[in-house]
Amino acid sequence: MDFRVFDRARRQVGPLQLDLVESYAQGKVSRREFVRRGTVIGLSLPFISAIISACGSDDGGTSGTTGTGGGDTTAAGTDTTAAGSGTAGGTIKIAAQKPVSVDPVAMQDLGGYGLVAQVFEFLVTLGENGEIAPGLAASWEPNEDGSVWTFNLQPDVKWQDGTDFTSEAVAATMDRLVEAGQSGLKGVITAGAVDSSDPTKAVFTLTGPNGNFPYLVSVFNAQTPITPVDYAIGTTLDQNSNGTGPWKLVDYNPSTGARFERNDTWWGGQTLLDSTEFQFFDEIGTMVTAMQGGAVDAIVQFQVIGGDALLNSPDFTVLEVESSTHRQIWMRCDTGQFADKAVRQALAFTFDREQMVETLFRGRASVGNDHVIAPFMEGYDDTVPQREKDIEKAKQLLADAGVTNLTATLHATAAFQEIPELAQLIKSGAEEAGINLEIALESLDTFYGAQWCPAEPPDPPCSGAAELGIVDYGHRPTPDVFLNAALFTNGVWNSSQYSSPELDAAFKEYQAAVGVDAHQAANKKIETILNEDVPVGLPYFYNYLSGNSTNFQGVRVSALGQMFLEKASQV
Amino acid sequence: MTRYVLRRLALSVVTLFLLVTIVFLIVNVFPDDPGRRIAGPFAPQETVDLLNERLGADDPLPVQYGRLLRSTVTFDFGDSFQFSRPVGDLLWAALLRSAKLVALGLFLTIPISIAAGVFAARRRNTSADRSVVTLGLASSSIPDFVSGVTLQYIIGVKLGLLPVLAVPPRGAGPLEELEYLLLPAFAIVVVYFGYIARMTRAGTIQALDADYTRTAVMKGLSTRRVLSRHVLRNALQPTVSVIGTSVGYLFGGLVALELIFNYPGLGSLIYTAASRKDIPLLSAAVILVGIIYMVFTLIADLIIAWMNPRARLEAAGS
Amino acid sequence: MNIPLPDPASAAAVVDEQAEVAAHDELILAGTPVGTKTFDTRAERRQARKERLQLLIRRPGFIVGVLILAVWIVCAIGGYRITPYDPINDFARPNLPPGSGGHILGTDQLGRDVLSRVMAGARDVLIAAPIAAVISVAFGSLFGLLMGYYRGWLDDVLSRIIEALLSIPVILVALLITTVLGSSRLVVVGTVALLFTPIVTRTIRAAVLAEAQLDYVTSAKLRGESGFFIMTREIMPNITGTMVVELTVRIGYAVFTMATLSFLGAGIQPPSPDWGLTISETYRLIQSGQWWPTLFPALAIASLVIATNLVADSIEAVVTT
Repeated sequence: MDFRVFDRARRQVGPLQLDLVESYAQGKVSRREFVRRGTVIGLSLPFISAIISACGSDDGGTSGTTGTGGGDTTAAGTDTTAAGSGTAGGTIKIAAQKPVSVDPVAMQDLGGYGLVAQVFEFLVTLGENGEIAPGLAASWEPNEDGSVWTFNLQPDVKWQDGTDFTSEAVAATMDRLVEAGQSGLKGVITAGAVDSSDPTKAVFTLTGPNGNFPYLVSVFNAQTPITPVDYAIGTTLDQNSNGTGPWKLVDYNPSTGARFERNDTWWGGQTLLDSTEFQFFDEIGTMVTAMQGGAVDAIVQFQVIGGDALLNSPDFTVLEVESSTHRQIWMRCDTGQFADKAVRQALAFTFDREQMVETLFRGRASVGNDHVIAPFMEGYDDTVPQREKDIEKAKQLLADAGVTNLTATLHATAAFQEIPELAQLIKSGAEEAGINLEIALESLDTFYGAQWCPAEPPDPPCSGAAELGIVDYGHRPTPDVFLNAALFTNGVWNSSQYSSPELDAAFKEYQAAVGVDAHQAANKKIETILNEDVPVGLPYFYNYLSGNSTNFQGVRVSALGQMFLEKASQV
Repeated sequence: MTRYVLRRLALSVVTLFLLVTIVFLIVNVFPDDPGRRIAGPFAPQETVDLLNERLGADDPLPVQYGRLLRSTVTFDFGDSFQFSRPVGDLLWAALLRSAKLVALGLFLTIPISIAAGVFAARRRNTSADRSVVTLGLASSSIPDFVSGVTLQYIIGVKLGLLPVLAVPPRGAGPLEELEYLLLPAFAIVVVYFGYIARMTRAGTIQALDADYTRTAVMKGLSTRRVLSRHVLRNALQPTVSVIGTSVGYLFGGLVALELIFNYPGLGSLIYTAASRKDIPLLSAAVILVGIIYMVFTLIADLIIAWMNPRARLEAAGS
Repeated sequence: MNIPLPDPASAAAVVDEQAEVAAHDELILAGTPVGTKTFDTRAERRQARKERLQLLIRRPGFIVGVLILAVWIVCAIGGYRITPYDPINDFARPNLPPGSGGHILGTDQLGRDVLSRVMAGARDVLIAAPIAAVISVAFGSLFGLLMGYYRGWLDDVLSRIIEALLSIPVILVALLITTVLGSSRLVVVGTVALLFTPIVTRTIRAAVLAEAQLDYVTSAKLRGESGFFIMTREIMPNITGTMVVELTVRIGYAVFTMATLSFLGAGIQPPSPDWGLTISETYRLIQSGQWWPTLFPALAIASLVIATNLVADSIEAVVTT
């Protein structure tokens, strides 16, 4: 270990950053986690490399994704083999989900996220390794407790109409997000949180310490791209597409598709492709056919079931991103047949998680342990024992609880990815332990509106939810939203009506945890409590699948439907 | 004839009024809060209320009903909730696409189905007849989404003979556009062949057995002349009626095929509008399909009346 | 003879694209009434029935149809007891092609035996489809009789309503019903019955119209019989053939319609091996070359539709001779 580098480093950085450096030096965090965490709290890449070489350690923790099976799988959703080095010119045609909304502030669907991200950029963007990296902000740093974050903006950024990009737009965008009640920023910042007196700096004053704040203004909080000052809530991409990004919107039809052309004045340089064409689809299955039949060059998302043709095709590059996308099997904790913890545990013991991962995802998923901390997340604690299928144990739990002939309805959405198949596997497993589940697949409206989180009664939220159901959660890089919305007492999506002072305290602890040790300790508590109480069964986290024809390279994707094409080119 | 047409038109107006009323009842049964839907789950209630007021979703039901009736007359349904652009723009584009697909589908289906039907009828109770009937039954008992995907996979993906999707690239000429529409049109043929062929067969058999045919044959007219002069004129009346009523169905009912071939016609527009509770778009689309349906059944009835003077007389007299 | 006049209601559209064939089958019957006289004695009727039965079993189409139906009825009654594997809870390797690993028709996306599921699926189909058909024919006959016999304002009003109902896309009706009532087997049966009732009504009405103009009805009226008596005792026996054809045809189309409802997310619930549901769950696998989980239930539906139509056609042919 090179102590000279360390001493210099100690003098350069703030207390938050120092804690991380020390933790890494002591071997408490892996290299992978050090790089990720370092980026989040504003350490520069050269600095991180210097520390790593000073420590001379190599614990083998590389980027999160491994490819298996057919096709040409690349790590972290990034085909970096020759990024930026292909032939110039040409157009890429992309199959994408039909957007429900392209209002940057209010959109909720992957289709909208993907489209808006072509034109508008985030302060913090997607890096080559699938992690966050500087975007419109060239760098950032927290104050000593992580309650004030300063983002230094890229110089020479212009809007597509030729005007200069300044921190005023950042302040205006954040105010709109606060007004719209954006889920990630809610409670983290309030109106007027951004000081834009220096046009080159956006200084965020948070309502309290938050060690993960850069994630909340990154691509992973998809509604936060920076839009011009004259934007308003309700303004949509097609009404005002004056962004800073690499692509200009030239044509938009809400039912067929959109077309973008290169922005010659983009601050990031020249894109290789001349233009991009998004074709909208209602069904992922049709997107797969379009890809197979050569009607498009890339597909924003597809599923393992029904996607075998692409996974096994030699002409297709699979972009696979490890993600925290998962399903929660919620069980009402306050009333009904699952109010007894033993019953909830019993059902969780009937899940054959390995079978689910194999059958539904051909192994492109990781087994879950009934808590929302995904294995790749920072500070994940792997010491909590994994719950395995154990029918005897389930029967025992039911018998001890005095429950016989348990019959319940399992609500889920019809025709949504693998959910109908999952429901059938759950039913079959439960039957072995004598639990009789009736599956009720419902339309999106019925399911979300009447079973998962009905508007009535409004207080506490979701108190009208069914006693059992399967709900989908999209990717988040940190578990904050999962915990805050679904599991915290009176959370807005808390359909299991779980209310645990221990979990609430552990979550508070997690949020305030700025140091590495505190973070890990909080995580362990959260994992243990959720695994024990089982307000939701969580059988797996699955990898996001996307890809492109082998005629193209340099395409990068996030697990939120965003496809980054500035370095893409024809081979 | 004029009296017949006028009577039919008057009845259509009554039916249209009923349709609008039913549509109004249906869209108001969906429990919904359009403002909340547009603004998202986290938006403050004031934003939602403001939106609802702007959209007129808070008005009393009679006011909304009046608005819908007025909209039907002027055919101005305002802006789509979801796409915040005039309903008309979305509707006409979808209508045009549906019209192209339906036209091509029927253009391919009608001649071969009628030919097969007449062929089967003339060889009644032979193996040829049974093959046509069984093939027709089999093809039309397979749901259109299955035959659609199968054609798409075999002809589009495996053999690479035709484009897998129905929307042509930008700036495609009419011929190229036709090529893109062929696969879904074939799927329509598969579904409708059995239906129209069996109808034609039944009508032809009946006409062949009729007295006027026997008379004509006894008069010594050639088979060809008997067929074209006497048999077909009568035999095809039910077929015309069926085709007329099918057009309305095809315009609004090809949801599955439109999804599979990613062809945004009226069927998928209705599906999207209904699943996203886009009430102006949904109402307008359903009423439009209803009008198309009425127009084509009327046209079919007029053709039948023209083919069969007696029906015309009776209709006028009734 | 002639096709009845193209009255807007009788020429009205069909929700189920197949329905008009049935309507036409009936039109033939309506035009050639089942004996323009009523049968005088019970003995004569019994004799006529016996003759018809003998005619029926001499028709090969009838025999084939009945045999196919018999196979499915055996499967339906035998249920899980006679399938080679448990169609719901036996998971082998997913997507095995036909003939491999002891699975004659292969396995589906979850590794369940396709043959077992097709066999077991007969039960769901054979219960749901006939019930929906019976309900629609019962209500359709009731409305058809009333409209066709009384005509006048009742006929005018109901005809307009039927036409308006028929011009509403199935998709909207399906979405509406599942939104309001959720989706269960009962709702599916009810939806199909509701969709079919206007079509059946139209067909029966046309048949009744043709009958009502005949002498025997006129003479019954002159005798001073009540409307109820004329409808049930005089007209009904003469349109029984139409009703039977309508019933068998509707059973076939009910299977098809239920498959479409499943496609729209408004159908029978998994893990039922119902054919329509299975098709809508698996048709997407075709594009990856896994055609067997879809093809075999589709063939099963086709065989059932063909069989019911063979039976219906035979009955129709015998009744009209």
